[in-house]
Amino acid sequence: MPTLLPRLGKVLIPVVVGLPSLIPLTQPTLAAEQVIIASTGGAYDRALKEAWFDPFTKATGIEVVTVAATNAEMRAKASAMVKTGNITWDLYLDGEIQAASKAHREITEDLTAFCRQFADRRDLSANACAAGGALLQSTATLLAYRTGEPGGPVPETWADMWDTEKFPGERAFPNFDDPWRVMAAALLADGVSRDELFPLDIDRALAKLEQIRPSVSLWWKTGDQSVQGFRNGDYSLGQIWLTRAKAMRNEGLPIAWSYKASFLVGDRIALLKDAPHRENALKLIAFWLNTPAAQAKACEALSCTPPSSDAIAMMSDEARKTMPQGDDVRDYVIVPDAEWINANAAMMLQRWNEWIR
Amino acid sequence: MTNFISRSRSHRLSFRRLSSYSARFYSLPTSIVLATPLIAALAIGFLYPVLKLFALSFSGGTLAYYRRIVAEPLHLAVLTGTVQVALVVTVASLLLGFPVAYLMARLSKGPATVVGACVFIPLWTSVLIRSYAWVTLLQRNGIINELLIDTGVTDGPLKLIYTQGAVILAMTHVLMPFMILPIYSALRALPADYVRAARNLGAGPLRAFVAVTLPLSLPGVFAGSVMCFVLALGFYITPALVGGPGSMLMATLIGQQTTVLLDWPFAAALSTVLLAVTLLFVLLFRRTLSLSKGLNSVY
Repeated sequence: MPTLLPRLGKVLIPVVVGLPSLIPLTQPTLAAEQVIIASTGGAYDRALKEAWFDPFTKATGIEVVTVAATNAEMRAKASAMVKTGNITWDLYLDGEIQAASKAHREITEDLTAFCRQFADRRDLSANACAAGGALLQSTATLLAYRTGEPGGPVPETWADMWDTEKFPGERAFPNFDDPWRVMAAALLADGVSRDELFPLDIDRALAKLEQIRPSVSLWWKTGDQSVQGFRNGDYSLGQIWLTRAKAMRNEGLPIAWSYKASFLVGDRIALLKDAPHRENALKLIAFWLNTPAAQAKACEALSCTPPSSDAIAMMSDEARKTMPQGDDVRDYVIVPDAEWINANAAMMLQRWNEWIR
Repeated sequence: MTNFISRSRSHRLSFRRLSSYSARFYSLPTSIVLATPLIAALAIGFLYPVLKLFALSFSGGTLAYYRRIVAEPLHLAVLTGTVQVALVVTVASLLLGFPVAYLMARLSKGPATVVGACVFIPLWTSVLIRSYAWVTLLQRNGIINELLIDTGVTDGPLKLIYTQGAVILAMTHVLMPFMILPIYSALRALPADYVRAARNLGAGPLRAFVAVTLPLSLPGVFAGSVMCFVLALGFYITPALVGGPGSMLMATLIGQQTTVLLDWPFAAALSTVLLAVTLLFVLLFRRTLSLSKGLNSVY
């Protein structure tokens, strides 16, 4: 027995001595100037890199490092970073509504002072730069449908979505833990006017949803699911994202959509509190808002609406045609009441979970 | 050292096949030295976070978060639903997995490798891909529905995907290797002589299986069942992809609180309840199985 310990030592000592050599690996490499941004990865990231990050690096010499995560993961991770004081990201992308929440304010820097420089920019939309972050792009969640015989009736409003006699076939609605848009659609279908929509009448919305429930073949969780069902004919009407509807049309599927049944939603670029490369991060945001060409290029690829009207003017006619235009936005498109949604998020989710099960 | 070798040899001769080397062959100090890295890793990587989580669920020094779990019937309904699904999946994995493990243990080397590969390759494939494969198979215009319509079994497509059944099917598929492998290793360690002896003494193949093989494989069955059950309780991706709105599991609820509402103390309370239920069931499993003879050789 006594001989076993020294033997063990022969193995253990080199291991123990070797361990410190790993320490440099855990420390951030001191590169040249950089800025770290978290986004949803994939095609989204690629489009932003080509249109925004690469030209920025070329102009300033600051390297842009991207980290991929889902929106929910980003929110949770950013929140954990600020709570533990171990902040490794500078910027992350979050939804328009979440960016107006109290939880968001607690972990991000108020950009009000930074935004002043854009106050007299005519081309930027009024909300392009706000306390919770700068506007990256806007898109819509709306009623999309498979087009039938030419000349036949076309669903236009949420009431049509509920009309299973005039528009037979199965339906799809989102079920991704953010139920306000389904409830809002139900209320509009039930005859509530646009001005009286918020605060949402949850009881009335769920009662209306109960009517359509038997015809709903998919409660989708991911954007990909929402598209897959249209592709294989699982349903012919669905509340889905405009970007996905456009992607399907580009594939050649007979898909159309109605702005008369749509909600405007956008993504914001938020700056984490005590971000390690704060100055570079602000430069990156300013570059986005100041460069319509970058916005146009990114939104051309992603089918989104950029914050600058100059950027919209630079986009192709085809891309512009499928974008919610000024008149549509004024007359039909619903801009959600972010404040009310945030204040009632937990209650809505609770009611939704109870109903959907 | 000589003492150590001779002791272990004498043990090895008698226990060679039934038990592998275990800590009792080493002296206490050596055992401690050998176990330290694992204990340290567990303490830092598991115990500390779990305790933090536990503490978080009582933040504010109140039981308010636990009261909320009890007050809203939804949470208890989802919890019982989760336990039910996990139990069904475990039983299904056992019924389907045991024959495979038995076959693998009895086959000669070549064919056993082929069967083993069929078990292992799905294990190495991402859960996401395996879940999507089920979506492709079960969807309205999927292979299974087309086959059923072509053969005239049904007139129209059946609703197979986004149901509780689909969740159980896909989860069983994902978790089966965790059931097969422990049973396989228990059966492999079983000397063929035992069954031969039983047959020699007049037992038929069925009797030999029930009286000898099955009880001696119980440690593997126990390990596999616990692993399946515990993993099934925490499943997140598969139910999200193949399940419908009705198949809501605890992990989904915890995920909502963590990432959507950022209500971490409440998420911690839900996690603590799930952990407590898991531990309770593991103890129950142990208790039930230790009543049977087969477990004497494990504990």
